[in-house]
Amino acid sequence: MQDLSTLTINVKDPWKNPANGWDVIDGRTITDNRTLEADVIIVGTGAGGGVSAEILSQRGLKVILVEAGKLKSSDDFKLDESQAYRDLYQEGALRATKDAGMTVLQGRTVGGTTVVNWTSSFRTPQKTLQYWHDEFGVQGLSQAQMAPWFQQMENRLNIEKWAMPPNANNDILKRGCDEKGWHSAIIPRNVSGCWNIGYCGMGCPTNAKQSMLVTTLPSALDHGSTLIYSAQADTLIIEGDSVTGVRVRPLNDDKVPTGATVTLKGKTVIAAGGGIQSPALLMRSDAPDPNGLVGKRTFLHPTTFVFGIYDKEIAPYYGAPQSMYSDEFTFKHGVNGPAGYKMEMMPMHPGLSGALMGDFGERAREEIERLPNIATAIALIRDGFHEDNQGGTVELRDNGEPLLDYPVNDYLLEGAKRSHLTMLEMQFAAGAREVRPSHTHASYYKSWKAAREGVAQLDYAPVITGLGSAHVMGGLTMGADESRCTVNSDGSYKHLNGLYIIDGSVFPTSIGANPQLSIYGLSARNASALADKLKG
Amino acid sequence: MDQGINRRSFLKLSAAGSAVLATGSGLALLTGCSSNDGPATGYKHFRQQDVDLLTPLVGAVLGPALTDVGATAEDGMKAFDDLLEGGMPGTRAALFQVLDLMQLGAARWYITGTWASFADQSEQEIKQTLTEWSASERSLSRMAFKGLTQPIHMAWYVKPVAARSTGYPGPPQKIIA
Repeated sequence: MQDLSTLTINVKDPWKNPANGWDVIDGRTITDNRTLEADVIIVGTGAGGGVSAEILSQRGLKVILVEAGKLKSSDDFKLDESQAYRDLYQEGALRATKDAGMTVLQGRTVGGTTVVNWTSSFRTPQKTLQYWHDEFGVQGLSQAQMAPWFQQMENRLNIEKWAMPPNANNDILKRGCDEKGWHSAIIPRNVSGCWNIGYCGMGCPTNAKQSMLVTTLPSALDHGSTLIYSAQADTLIIEGDSVTGVRVRPLNDDKVPTGATVTLKGKTVIAAGGGIQSPALLMRSDAPDPNGLVGKRTFLHPTTFVFGIYDKEIAPYYGAPQSMYSDEFTFKHGVNGPAGYKMEMMPMHPGLSGALMGDFGERAREEIERLPNIATAIALIRDGFHEDNQGGTVELRDNGEPLLDYPVNDYLLEGAKRSHLTMLEMQFAAGAREVRPSHTHASYYKSWKAAREGVAQLDYAPVITGLGSAHVMGGLTMGADESRCTVNSDGSYKHLNGLYIIDGSVFPTSIGANPQLSIYGLSARNASALADKLKG
Repeated sequence: MDQGINRRSFLKLSAAGSAVLATGSGLALLTGCSSNDGPATGYKHFRQQDVDLLTPLVGAVLGPALTDVGATAEDGMKAFDDLLEGGMPGTRAALFQVLDLMQLGAARWYITGTWASFADQSEQEIKQTLTEWSASERSLSRMAFKGLTQPIHMAWYVKPVAARSTGYPGPPQKIIA
């Protein structure tokens, strides 16, 4: 039996060194009103904000980063689900779409989702870039034009195909796909000296994951940037047709405003809060939006799950969480046909497993007691490419918090059903003894034939069809087409001077692959162009 | 920040259940069920009426997951309370709206298929209620079933004692330099 519980980890935390001279302000301690100035204010410290901060500060620009989440770093990462969800995820990992149809895992901490993602790093597929050009008038982002930016970020974040053998969970995908003659390949990961223990989703305890927390943010601070954390960007300061700063509300440990206001003044503001948060910032600010597009076309890669039980031990909680994928079905029906999906595996720790497996009483207990022998396949459905699949809409609750309304419609449900069948077939081909799709009314099937017959009888409807998301994209669509887009291809907002959007919210559709490298590459391109403009 | 229930936010709850909820909110105000007296003793978020309502349900949803490690329904309920700690005020308010609604017999019948309070149902009756509720074709019932059972499981299995009861040996040991 695999057991890492006696392994000891002792790693130096770069954030716990008082000699580095970084200007880091803890919002929890701010009780007075104050004003700070900089050349560039960046809202958010994830993939978009981190990359932008490093590039702009290296060019000699004064940057202030503001982050709603807490500052947690390797000394704080206890490899504990409870602590990780509370401290590192949006809404304590309780975020869901408005009708509870999809759970949404998204980071909320210094470093954003890069601190908790599973490290999979893919370039934006050529078909996706071409679709953006053809349908939205996105300029300058062809595969050839983006290649140097992806290369730059792959070098910066040590992105390479995983060199070690896949863990047993990911090996299921490889063996199942090999058996069926389907495509599979090794996932590139942004790690350096990875211990292969499997806790990427709880904050990397060894600082091997090249998240923003250990790469671009320390670099930006070394170059004179200021970081304010536990501080919520409330509204943009808009004067005439220009943005001139950001109003910030420091938060106490319970995420409740301390009552103080920090006014950040700067001629350039970058919204980098990620999908859901960036559109919500513009909505709270009543930013001009003549065509009512802000928050629309928010995409999630709606993700389906299939659990397989094996005679041999899988230990799905240990080892690099994602190392094998299949693109057999990603573009099988063209870029804008019936739903396509990328197939991967997911790590299963007990809390997340309990939430995903569902059910109740004895049956739920019997299932989770099989955890050491369970492999979980997932399918990321490409959303936003078909006329029947236009994504979700960000709304604001009474208190200004965002909420995503994303109706799960027949287009998605048809894709969910097909993806279930694919993953059931794959897991049986890999030697599973019993396999079950994540659906409230599905039980374990003992053969591929029984599974096919069982799925045919299932009611594919919202909420009972298990769907989740770990990839929030869109909401501030990039492109030349004014009737559909709010952001230019260089990241500038069409209706306000001085406002740039540099994060995943500018994607006109979902990516069709785990999005972090897409955000890094585009952010590097647009932050570099912005630096040229500001220094020009 | 507003964590409690008010009529305006109540009426804004999702389209799936808006008609029912609108009726329920009026009833709740009439019966005083929507009052927010703050968290129950020993809890950070759940109010006494939530604890009374949900504890028997938590016991049935988790069942052997609790008894196998010598825990009680109250332990499961406290774990649920701990899980809410990470949520935003708006996240919790949405949950409390569903719980306020479920204080009403008519709403319980609509959502779960039975008028009786969970506390007045035997263990066998709650199991039967859960079986029928999970098979319901009403979208509001489905929302409520998932919206309650999913965090109940998650809240319990993130606790180290519960996590290890699944066969998971636990994480490596962390040493702070």
